[in-house]
Amino acid sequence: MPPRRILLVDCDAFYVQVARLTDPQGAGRAPLLIVGGSPTGRGVVTSASYEARAYGVRSAMPTAQALRLCPQATVVPVPRSACVARSREVGTVLRELAPVVQAASIDEFYLDLSGTERLFHGESLGDTADRFRREVLRRTEISVSVGGGTRRVIAKLATRRAKPAGVYVVEPGEEQAFLSTLDLADLPGVGPALVEALRKRGLVRVEDALGVQLEWFQAWLGKNRGAWLHRRIRGLDDSEVDPHEARKSISSERTFSEDITGDEDLEIRLLELSRSVAATLRRKGLRVRTVTVKLRDHDFRTRVHSRTSPEPIESDAAIHEAALTLLRELRSERRVPARLLGVGLSGLASASEGGQLGLFQEAGTGETERDRRVSHAVDALRSRFGDDAVLPGRIVDRTHRRHDPSDDEGSTHDE
Amino acid sequence: MKFTITRQNLHNGLAAVSASIPSKTTLPVLSNILFEAREGMVWMSGTDLDVSVRVKVPADVKEEGSLTAPGKKLQEITRELPDQPVEVSTRGDQIELSSGHSNFKFNGLPAEEFPSLPQVQFDEGWRVGGADLQRLIHHTSFAVSTEESRPILNGVLWELRDGSMRMIATNGHRLARMGVATAPSNAPSADFIVPPAALQHVQRLFKGEEELMVARNGNHLGFGSEAVEVFSRLIEGTYPNYDQVIPRDNDKVATVPKKALESAVRRMAVVASDQTHRIRLKFETDRVHLNVLTPDLGEGHDEIDVGYAGEELEIGFNANYLLEVLRYMASDEVKVTFKAPERAATVEPVAEGDESIDYLCLIMPLRLLD
Repeated sequence: MPPRRILLVDCDAFYVQVARLTDPQGAGRAPLLIVGGSPTGRGVVTSASYEARAYGVRSAMPTAQALRLCPQATVVPVPRSACVARSREVGTVLRELAPVVQAASIDEFYLDLSGTERLFHGESLGDTADRFRREVLRRTEISVSVGGGTRRVIAKLATRRAKPAGVYVVEPGEEQAFLSTLDLADLPGVGPALVEALRKRGLVRVEDALGVQLEWFQAWLGKNRGAWLHRRIRGLDDSEVDPHEARKSISSERTFSEDITGDEDLEIRLLELSRSVAATLRRKGLRVRTVTVKLRDHDFRTRVHSRTSPEPIESDAAIHEAALTLLRELRSERRVPARLLGVGLSGLASASEGGQLGLFQEAGTGETERDRRVSHAVDALRSRFGDDAVLPGRIVDRTHRRHDPSDDEGSTHDE
Repeated sequence: MKFTITRQNLHNGLAAVSASIPSKTTLPVLSNILFEAREGMVWMSGTDLDVSVRVKVPADVKEEGSLTAPGKKLQEITRELPDQPVEVSTRGDQIELSSGHSNFKFNGLPAEEFPSLPQVQFDEGWRVGGADLQRLIHHTSFAVSTEESRPILNGVLWELRDGSMRMIATNGHRLARMGVATAPSNAPSADFIVPPAALQHVQRLFKGEEELMVARNGNHLGFGSEAVEVFSRLIEGTYPNYDQVIPRDNDKVATVPKKALESAVRRMAVVASDQTHRIRLKFETDRVHLNVLTPDLGEGHDEIDVGYAGEELEIGFNANYLLEVLRYMASDEVKVTFKAPERAATVEPVAEGDESIDYLCLIMPLRLLD
């Protein structure tokens, strides 16, 4: 069998690019740009421009810390809906170009081009990658980098070498030589704790670890983890590029600018979060069985409660109702100022796969036909008149009271 | 304990009881059958702690006593024995079977280790016709839920009234309800939620022509005849108000030839999605169109002549639910009623002659998305 031809298309500083495209006069003119959080609070950096990264600014770093490193930087909020739209555009272009495309995240797409040698008239994988890169840029204004190789993990690592706005392909047979140039810390899935554990044994570079026998890794790290590392340093990875890989969860969380003490304030935030994830759920044509609420207290203790309903639900009312019960449970266990609140949905099923109506629906899920109709009607209004076209009274009250839509910081919306 | 028994009687008794033995258990004694020989009879009992079965078979008892012994093994041996009397005896915790030149010994466990079966006073209970009971079980128990999220729906609701009784089962998507008239009695009304496993034993072990005794003791229900007893733990809780969800205002009525509908639905089911089994029925004057469209697979269309004079209506169903319900309809024609695409539909047999049957199945539709 000929070697597989895998590409990873990764958008360069995606949130920064989109922020600049969305706001060419502001963000577009700031070379030192931080997306996410605000200068005053404790939000986190979602993405930073390459110029800002030169100062040591990294994603997931508290924005305040990033600003200590790079005080001249401009901070803008995440242009969330624009990011989703641009990501979709990039995906559309790639699906026209390649037979198998899997969106791995909002800004990463795996492409499997195995078997396209003749289709592309013998074009080298590097040339194909460059052609795709230019086509995406031309049609979506989004600059991407493309890594290629015979396996997903190789393509992923090659992408880092390609950045920004470049192409890097590891030829078949060159995998081990390529990996040997890397540090163990560079490998996906090798986190700080593992790096430290390996460093104590004198292993820093991939090269250092290649001579270590499987049994040693297993003795140090346990059977499965040891076997995994033994394979990973050799670049072994059988995982497929699967365009149908099902979405596993939808979640949204907020870090507050100030710790929130009152139950009522938290419940309003919860209402916003649950409406946001519920809207995403329906936009994706999905329904959900498990709702999870995450609460991080002021002392960084994080607590999570979840609940699974007998039938999948989709309405704002039912999802909020489930989340509210969970939040109240969490608060009754420990009522201290809260730093972060999140709502997650998992156990997702396609709405078209479901659709079985129930006899005793109300008893089972708390979701009525009326709830579903209301949610779909609200979705329709929002798609015509914008996301704020229809808001629950409690949220309207809050927005009026505070006049500061950016007071939530470090929000992440993971789709 | 020592008795002589015909191979047939031993085999019948073991077959009746061993079906109640759990296939996997952490309590070794539950894999055993309890033998009790007394007064010219041998009682055999088996239990999985939820449901228990006890049968009585005639034997020539030479020495009374009791012991438990491995049920499945005894059943397998008995099946293979020649058709001649079997002598069964015990020595300590061992049971010995002899028949002609064949001789087997199995290690047993003392009778005291066997859980005691529920004590039920049959003379203080109800009397029900075996045939009626069999009919109710047959026509309803298929509809119980197998999901663990709502345990109450894992049982069949049995309503006993003076002069009638009913069984109802549902999984929340489709429901079956059957009622029969019974001879007036002065027994009090009662509602039980019975696990279907127990009802299966009742179906299997009691003959239709018998009259059964039924009695309750706390959380257990007993079914008894002269030679067979079945005991079951009852499911506790309040059964959902099923009567409330049975539509009274379904104004669209179709009379459908059962066999034709069944075959058409079975054909549609081949093309339906593996997940939803969604098929689409469009009723128009004297005709029903069946359609199925499954992305990535294909589509199908069929139509059959029916009696229908209502407004045109299109409704989606899980083909399996529809087939299941049709399977239990004994008549040549069925009456199907609707109100709207997202409201419950009912299916009932169409009475032939003067015989009217109180049987109703209800199916909730699948939403049609387009």
